[in-house]
Amino acid sequence: MIRVNGKRQFWYEGMTIKDLLEDLEDSHHYAVIRINNKHVSRPYFEKTLIPDNSEVFLISLIAGG
Amino acid sequence: MMTEYKIEAIKTFDYKKPVIDKGYANQTLLVDISNSDISIHPVTEKMKEVFIGGKGFDLWLLWNAVNGTTKWSDPDNAICIASGPMGGTPVYPGSGKSIVTTISPLTGSVIDSNVGGYFGPYLKFSGFDALQIRGKTQTDIVILIDGIDEKIQIFETSGLPDDSYALSSILTEHFAQGKPRNISVVSTGPGAKHTLMGCLNFTWYDLKRKRARYKQAGRGGIGSVFADKCIKAVVARWDRVSVNTNNPSDGIALKEIGKKHSREIVDLDPKQNEMAKIGTTHLVTIMNDFDLLPTHNFQYGQHPEAENVGQEVYRRIFDTGYDGCWMGCTVACSHGVKDFVPLTGPYRGEKVFVDGPEYETIAGCGSNLGVFDPHTVVEMNFYCDAYGLDTISVGTSIAFAMECFSMNLINETHTGGINLSFGNRSAALEIVHQMAQGEGFGHIVGRGVREMKSILARDYKADLNIMQDIGMEAKGLEFSEYMTKESLAQQGGYGLALKGPQHDEAWLIFLDMVHNFMPSFEQKAEALHWFPMFRTWFSLCGLCKLPWNDIIPEDNKDTQEPAKVMKHVEWYTQYYTAVTGRHTTPEGLIRMSEAVYNFQRIFNLKMGFGTREHDNIPYRAMGPVKPVEYESRHERYDKELVEKHHVDITDMSTEDKIRTLRKFRETLYEQLKDAVYKRRGWTTDGIPTIDTVTRLGIDFPEVLELLNAKLGDDQG
Repeated sequence: MIRVNGKRQFWYEGMTIKDLLEDLEDSHHYAVIRINNKHVSRPYFEKTLIPDNSEVFLISLIAGG
Repeated sequence: MMTEYKIEAIKTFDYKKPVIDKGYANQTLLVDISNSDISIHPVTEKMKEVFIGGKGFDLWLLWNAVNGTTKWSDPDNAICIASGPMGGTPVYPGSGKSIVTTISPLTGSVIDSNVGGYFGPYLKFSGFDALQIRGKTQTDIVILIDGIDEKIQIFETSGLPDDSYALSSILTEHFAQGKPRNISVVSTGPGAKHTLMGCLNFTWYDLKRKRARYKQAGRGGIGSVFADKCIKAVVARWDRVSVNTNNPSDGIALKEIGKKHSREIVDLDPKQNEMAKIGTTHLVTIMNDFDLLPTHNFQYGQHPEAENVGQEVYRRIFDTGYDGCWMGCTVACSHGVKDFVPLTGPYRGEKVFVDGPEYETIAGCGSNLGVFDPHTVVEMNFYCDAYGLDTISVGTSIAFAMECFSMNLINETHTGGINLSFGNRSAALEIVHQMAQGEGFGHIVGRGVREMKSILARDYKADLNIMQDIGMEAKGLEFSEYMTKESLAQQGGYGLALKGPQHDEAWLIFLDMVHNFMPSFEQKAEALHWFPMFRTWFSLCGLCKLPWNDIIPEDNKDTQEPAKVMKHVEWYTQYYTAVTGRHTTPEGLIRMSEAVYNFQRIFNLKMGFGTREHDNIPYRAMGPVKPVEYESRHERYDKELVEKHHVDITDMSTEDKIRTLRKFRETLYEQLKDAVYKRRGWTTDGIPTIDTVTRLGIDFPEVLELLNAKLGDDQG
């Protein structure tokens, strides 16, 4: 089980960020995802595994600068 | 370190401080240091209506102080510092900014810088919406604006330390009368005196750590003007601050909206970028992932060692605790490093507190130099601040010198034996120490990229054409630290910025390149209208822009225009109305900025700039200059040539491809200029039309005279 933006979500072995986002209708908004304290950017969504019990935050990064 | 010093009052001016009314003191302070003349001037309703406050007031005062031939070091050049109507509100996050303007030694035109610390609010509460310092002296002086005892004083000083780190600490203690939180010091250091890229340090007192902390008005060499005038420091003294100190029009509404925004940040920042813990350091690895982190003088956007200077490292290095540069700000991103021990320079072996680093400093003094050691970045940060040097201009200038060295345009006979290879940490630090002393090759680097190009070509016969392509300056100002090769909108964000390539006007890389929100020229032009205008508005009001879009509402993505974070824009209209009593709308905020923005463009024109040719950027900002750059991203560039421009590249050499790509990209940039000028109501030469200035209410006689002389028959 993981938490995504504070809500509990089913987790399975081998789950990547790309897998997680495929279930969301608005996934195109998210350029950066935070897993616990680590930011992961879109180029790495496909190969980044989400560990069990992770706290995941979806960030539609539009700021900076 | 014990320092024996003398501070002797040479002028005391008593005054009666006014009651602050709806965010305004309704008067400004002029200090002419040539003859120690101090005077107070009213703020008219017209000034408030057209220029709002903050940067707007600064520009108006500066406009009236200088003429078209005034140079940065002339006595007539003024340094103007202002808060804004909302400046000094403790309940609303990010409300303590000061805005500084002067004629820049780097650009020759008007520069502005938005900085934290307590000075601007303390100045206003002492009775002045803006401070204008003119003239020059031959002896070191300190100016005190004492809102508690209602007096302005000018002191002659001797024996005070040169560096800003020790100086701000001593002056805080000297004027505190036992209450150091009542003091904010503006100062600079020896680097500002010996270079053209001096910054100003603005302090805020950290009660928990019991020390003066500081933020920087970095860009454009304002510190160098300050040092050239022989001003050691300007000190503001004020007492307690509450929501009511601004005497807002509707205090209840103000508290309500302020608490709402503060609470949202407290709730969402931990879920988003954790700025209250790691500041802007999260950007390092994110920029690196998207090929946007400048490395090796903006040649590349990525490096395998970038994580070494990223958030995970600084999370461990930063001292924990509250780090708000204004009272009660919940973004609280001004982190620092405690008990840092420099390995070089005058503080070698001593424990110091370092304010920073932020993203720009990490990228400028780290990755862009090929330096991926977090402690070297902290040491560069410390000495730049202590010496009064802008970390962005320092980083970009050293990066340029390093690339010239790597290309054999210069060698060790020119650098005084310093091996300026990329990644040479001790060489980078040595250059910074030389800049502070005005000695060695550091003296040349301290002139900035534009002048360095001329010096290297003239004295060392370095190839000027290649240096024009790789020297990352525009309008004379060094680029801040983002790669723009793949974002046409951000090329415009830099090239069309009024003061030069600083990202605070328009940071559109993610919206353009990552999210592809603006595929057409018209959409890019619209973004290059709306974003600079809205960002300008923060500097009119004494605000920080971070609360607007660095922490965003969870439902923002479901709104019609997520890029604008309209929920927060609405809150800002309510905030403005609650303080000033003037009703406004989101469109009203843009309209306020548009007047000041166009006025600043015309100010550039007055100083001999401000036309299309001055919006040019070096080709390195648009695409690959050297074969090694092209080849490192050849799939991207080949694809563009073939699929977008329909070029048969079968028998083309890399050099041919570079030349061909360059033609396309330079043409696109010119087309972007056309689209943006049209959207902004300017002529094809980038000059605001008579219709535009009339619509915006800035059709002052001097403005019309200037425009009529410049426009001639070309009315747009």
